[in-house]
Amino acid sequence: MNDWIFVSIIGRDRPGIVASVSRVLYQNHCNLEDLSQTAIRGQFAMILIASTLKEDVLRGLRSDFQELAKDLSLDINLKIIKPGELAPYDAGESEPFVLTVCGEDRPGLVYGITEVLAERGINITNLDARVALIGGKQEYIQLFEVDIHKGLDLDLIQEKLRKRGQEMGVGVDLQHREIFRAINQI
Amino acid sequence: MLSSEEIIRTVEMLKNENLDVRTVTLGISLRDCVSANAEDLCVRIRRKIQKHAKDLVSACDRISKKYGIPIVNKRLAVTPIAAVAESLGREDYLGVARTLDQAAEEVGVNFIGGYSALVQKGFTKGDRNLIDTIPEVLSSTERVCASVNAASTRAGINMDAVLLMGQAIKETSLRTAERDGFGCAKLVVFANMPEDNPFMAGAYLGYGEPECVINVGVSGPGVVKKELERAVQSGKKLTLGDLSEIIKKTSFRVTRVGELIAREVAQSLEVSFGIVDLSLAPTPTVGDSVGEILQCLGLDSIGVPGSTAALALLNDAVKKGGAFASSSVGGLSGAFLPVSEDLNLSAAVHQGFLSLEKLEAMTAVCSVGLDMIAIPGKVDASTIAAILADEMAIGVVNHKTTAVRLIPVPGKEVGEKAIFGGLFGEAHIMEVRNMNRSSAFVTFGGRIPAPITSINN
Repeated sequence: MNDWIFVSIIGRDRPGIVASVSRVLYQNHCNLEDLSQTAIRGQFAMILIASTLKEDVLRGLRSDFQELAKDLSLDINLKIIKPGELAPYDAGESEPFVLTVCGEDRPGLVYGITEVLAERGINITNLDARVALIGGKQEYIQLFEVDIHKGLDLDLIQEKLRKRGQEMGVGVDLQHREIFRAINQI
Repeated sequence: MLSSEEIIRTVEMLKNENLDVRTVTLGISLRDCVSANAEDLCVRIRRKIQKHAKDLVSACDRISKKYGIPIVNKRLAVTPIAAVAESLGREDYLGVARTLDQAAEEVGVNFIGGYSALVQKGFTKGDRNLIDTIPEVLSSTERVCASVNAASTRAGINMDAVLLMGQAIKETSLRTAERDGFGCAKLVVFANMPEDNPFMAGAYLGYGEPECVINVGVSGPGVVKKELERAVQSGKKLTLGDLSEIIKKTSFRVTRVGELIAREVAQSLEVSFGIVDLSLAPTPTVGDSVGEILQCLGLDSIGVPGSTAALALLNDAVKKGGAFASSSVGGLSGAFLPVSEDLNLSAAVHQGFLSLEKLEAMTAVCSVGLDMIAIPGKVDASTIAAILADEMAIGVVNHKTTAVRLIPVPGKEVGEKAIFGGLFGEAHIMEVRNMNRSSAFVTFGGRIPAPITSINN
């Protein structure tokens, strides 16, 4: 089996970054397998996984990415992935929940909430934060998608999170993801 | 994956638009409880309700927490007691009602429906006993709700039953005079009564229903109103067709919530999932009113010219959106106009915009009928019966459910207020014009025949 590679690219957002990165991959006989890209406040970030279609392509790939990083002022990191590392994190027998944190922004908010999750081994699968209009008021809102193991006491987790939210002056709600899907998706 | 917009929109509906599940109603068949011995029957009823409903409230609470959706009411509906207690004497009926009351209290629900009889074509002995004991039962129990089906499109209108119910309403009101006639809030007279209605006071478990079943009533008008408000305030040029689309989409969303919760509660209790009722049931809370929706549609108040058309638009859009969202729609499924339970309707009565006659006209295009209307205590039984007959006629001829829940308020007049409290709210007493002019008509008795449109096989 040929190598699989993981690449992360960050830098100032502008047109042409994705085209340049994918050109390097194509020219070095790599096939894109998975990719996620986002931009916040003008900062570009992309992670990708690619499989190599030929042996011994790594040296060329590293050199081309180094050149690209220099030309476009990007931070590009490349690493080889072992086959065992390709499987997603196994949260065990779990159910998907959405955690919403709503209130005034303050330092330590994400840490305060995620500490409660980490202590219980709850894995975050998606995280977004933005300012939104809630009840006619501009509110800072954080949205976590998490997997909660079926063996955990949901009442207790909800209580801990609500308490932590109270301490930090924000509202915290933990709801099963299905309710959001039911309301919004066919 | 969910989009952030989808999550934020849902949070907004929950936090600021009163999105909830109005009622989860567990239907329990009491057919296997039948006995010729009153004591034996009561023991069986109590045991059966205990067995099937003991976990209803805890299951609803757990599921409500899991999804972050309030479930406002948990209730029970049973087989019509007129049939269950058919073999008993009149003197035993109150005992059966007290058993229902006690069983409901034991399992923690606030109402139990099914002190009911279906008499559209005539009475059995049990039906007569049940109707005869309604005032006594409603004045001496807390949780028991009574309903009588006096008419249907197939059978016509049983005018003997209509007159009896006019008298039952009057007597129930007098027996609960100290609570402004509150007993009548637990009594509904129907035409074309649905077998799977989850809403009180008209919930009962029909003869064609399973042993045990979960029926759910979806969220109220608050969510629809906010969506319309947002669209109107956006400054876009909108037609009534556009507004109808918005209502349809919102109805889809709230119905999906109802369906999700209904299925999960049913699964948890290991009983059948029955139906989702799409009715927009208001509460006496600002922002949760059918009247306010009509104001969003450009009317100064509910009751002014245009109200019937606007209500028809609303009702139709709610049904279309809801029917797409649920595989099993039933119950009443339309907009409710319970005057005392909707702050805006109550105010419209006070300001003179909304009259009994206009309400009657509107019931031809919306689900239920003349609901939670406080009238002067002096209105006589035959006038009440005549109002019932008019409303039954609308249901019978239009192949739809109509119902009447009138509350004569002893000792009070137009301009005064009846106060019922809680979800029942308070109501300005509504004028009843032309009293004491219909008694000859209603005392003819007999049956108004079924309309020709009922012969459709």
